[in-house]
Amino acid sequence: MRTIALFILGAALVGGAFAQSIRIMGYGGSDPAILVRLLDEVVGAQLAEEGITVTYEPLEGDFNAALFNALSAGTAADIFYIPVETAPGIIATGKVLPLDGVIDTSQFIDSLVEAYTVDGTVYGVAKDFNTLAIHYNIDLFEEAGVEVPNENDTWETFADKLRGVSALGDDVYGACFPAGWDRFGAFAFGAGWQPFDADGRSNLQDPALVEAVTWYTDLVREGVAVQPSDIGQGWTGGCFATDQVGVAIEGAWILGFLRDEAPNLQFGTTSMPIGPSGERGNFLYTVAYGVNTDSPNRDAAVRVLEALVSPEAQQWVLEQGLAIPSRTELADNPFFDEGTPEAEANRIVFAGADDGNVYGFQFGRIGTEWMNPINSALVEIMTGQSTVDEALSGAQADLDIVMDRVR
Amino acid sequence: MATTGGLSFPDDTTHLDPRAFDRWQARRRWAKAGLIYAVMLAFAIVFIGPILFAAVSSIKTDPLEYPPSLAIPQLQPKNWSASARLGAAGAGDRLFGGFAPGAVVPFEITYFVREGLDVTPPEVVVPRRRPGAGPGAVLAMDFAADYASVGDLTIVRRQPSLADETGAIPGELVTFAFTVAYVGEGPTTERLPLDVTAEVGMTYVDSTITASRLERRGRTASFENAAPGVLGYVFRNYVRVFNEVRTPATRQSLFLVWIGNSFVFAFFRIIITLLLASMAGYALARLRFRGREAIFMLVLFAQMVPLQVLFISNYLVLRDGIVSIDGFKLSTLWGFPDGMLNSLTGLLFVTALNAGAVFIMKQFFESIPREVEEAAMIDGASHWRRYWSVVLPMARPALGALTIITFQGAWNDFFWPFIVLTSPETMKTLPIGLLSFRNIYGGVGDWGLILAGAVLSALPVIVLFVVFQRYFLEGVSFGGGKE
Repeated sequence: MRTIALFILGAALVGGAFAQSIRIMGYGGSDPAILVRLLDEVVGAQLAEEGITVTYEPLEGDFNAALFNALSAGTAADIFYIPVETAPGIIATGKVLPLDGVIDTSQFIDSLVEAYTVDGTVYGVAKDFNTLAIHYNIDLFEEAGVEVPNENDTWETFADKLRGVSALGDDVYGACFPAGWDRFGAFAFGAGWQPFDADGRSNLQDPALVEAVTWYTDLVREGVAVQPSDIGQGWTGGCFATDQVGVAIEGAWILGFLRDEAPNLQFGTTSMPIGPSGERGNFLYTVAYGVNTDSPNRDAAVRVLEALVSPEAQQWVLEQGLAIPSRTELADNPFFDEGTPEAEANRIVFAGADDGNVYGFQFGRIGTEWMNPINSALVEIMTGQSTVDEALSGAQADLDIVMDRVR
Repeated sequence: MATTGGLSFPDDTTHLDPRAFDRWQARRRWAKAGLIYAVMLAFAIVFIGPILFAAVSSIKTDPLEYPPSLAIPQLQPKNWSASARLGAAGAGDRLFGGFAPGAVVPFEITYFVREGLDVTPPEVVVPRRRPGAGPGAVLAMDFAADYASVGDLTIVRRQPSLADETGAIPGELVTFAFTVAYVGEGPTTERLPLDVTAEVGMTYVDSTITASRLERRGRTASFENAAPGVLGYVFRNYVRVFNEVRTPATRQSLFLVWIGNSFVFAFFRIIITLLLASMAGYALARLRFRGREAIFMLVLFAQMVPLQVLFISNYLVLRDGIVSIDGFKLSTLWGFPDGMLNSLTGLLFVTALNAGAVFIMKQFFESIPREVEEAAMIDGASHWRRYWSVVLPMARPALGALTIITFQGAWNDFFWPFIVLTSPETMKTLPIGLLSFRNIYGGVGDWGLILAGAVLSALPVIVLFVVFQRYFLEGVSFGGGKE
């Protein structure tokens, strides 16, 4: 009798120890639905067998603000998203578990691992990523009698093609160029500019940056490219959907938008043009999973993280057309060669991660505030309020104040 | 005769023809009424204009259309009858349409073809189309494309015409007819998208229902739903609000859940506010006890402290379930072992007490003559009895005003729900849900759905205001310095 009672007690204890609930905090939007399907169809059964249940908590609004709140209130989940642009700040809170020796990150794209490495320690595993690519409107290029952009284009040949398209009429432009670092920066990298020197300072008077700014803003002043707001749009994708611009420089996120707003637009995708440095420039936009150091179920959390970025999970996410995976081995996945414009766009964006001068969309511990002086400078130049030199020296002064403050 | 402000009146009123005087007075009345109405109309336009514009935009396929046009296909009666017909053909549903087994949907499309150009039938495709964002983009769904078969195109009408946008170019209007049939057995799909692509040089003129959008520089006419039913056509964005946003696990319509939460929250907040505010107001107005003035000052003071000052401490109180000792949270006692965040109870806990409401009730009770209560006192009524059976029923106007103000406040409350209700999605109230809408659909420029949600969320308050505007005004006058 007694043994049976002990046995039952023991079983209950073991069962209790294994029934662990792991919370994940991430973006809203379609992410909750993706995670539920990923759990249902791929990794959930295995985790359930191990006694782990997973719940997803989307943080709406400003994710970074909400995450910092949750971290300081002690309500942050066991696993949370770490957006690349605020990664250094989040890691600096000390609430992110170092993953060295916990998870093998050698199978992931190097530049993605690097974006989450601080002082040689890895803190996050990128769940998926995006880079920029040239999406072009086939109808417009055909109508203009201009060859569509291709991977051999340099800045000059690319600009000439845009000029050809913008010659179609007053309401047609070669491209939409927003006055923002988040798109322009790729061209700065293409010119060979590095945003931070060895001391962590930024030099806006660097000839490479001046060259990129001049090229980018000249196309707008010339009337070949247009700012989105000038044709009543909020972003490049909006311009593209109206058939008014030849190319849009965006990531794979434009695909969902086009499906909704311009489902019949005939588009193709190619790599960013080759810059004066002889290399393409590109951004890495990504978000990683990180484990909360305060998690009461740290081992289970690590286990969930492993499952979510496992080859099976990533392959499923890719084949469903939901996101671009961060594992190198998926480069040869047959999905990329399906021949549809969407698959092709995904392939180009995937390849963009290690083609040329690629940097994470990141600003050290300064955060996104770093972009503001450059963005205002771009607006001033594009609208003709000041010259390139004036605007950049003004921006340098503003940026120095920001950088001194963080220091 | 002298004139003032365009109105003439007789100089000598002593020898006045009474009928002329009446007429003069009538004119004056009309002029006054006209002026008042003009001012009110101006106000109405300023205040209602944006709401009206949002409501009109919310039914458009592209609410961001610039410049905005009032020639909205959804408002044309021709499209109403056609979409009802198509809905009946698609799924036997004249209101919401769909595409069901056995359906044969007849469709016509008219092009202007320039003289000298060959008349080539356009290419008709039923595309596999799913939403670009939100749960709809991810959850498994049935596609009409898997079951639809497009029949041959025939020319049913040809008519010489000169009309073309660019001027008098001779040509003809050619109308093509075709059917889309549901082949075999399968599920009823919610919609039947259709793309019709013509040769360059053919200009889209018209179709059974107006095309949702023209793409590829006018070559492709794209239809969101070729079998929409009349509500499915006119209120497509509204239908999407309910249908497209579902919880991944149970497929519940999130918008309905949010509406339910908002109503529950508003209901209980009204009950609690009415009860507590009227009791506190009565005590402060009628009972004489030590420290009464101080308590009243405290109530006023509480109203003066801005919410933002208190919210961190209140958040921590909710997180710890009032108070947490060695990990044991006091709220475990009434069923919240993890603290009271993410629960409507927690939300009510921090929002239901309202110093302003106490103030309104106190002011009102003070305006009720003491004699009424003294009469009850002679009959031997206790304080409670006097409050519950005598004074409270007399306070109906104040309670009515308070109810409406509280409902409006609870329904629109954003700050507290945003802090307290973070997950799961099914716990949110409507304003917070609308924020998720903005995050989900704003990113892909799908503003129709967001606007539709916003208009729906404004409806209860608008209805409430129209029906009970008298109480609203009374509420304002109670709050002001009425003795």
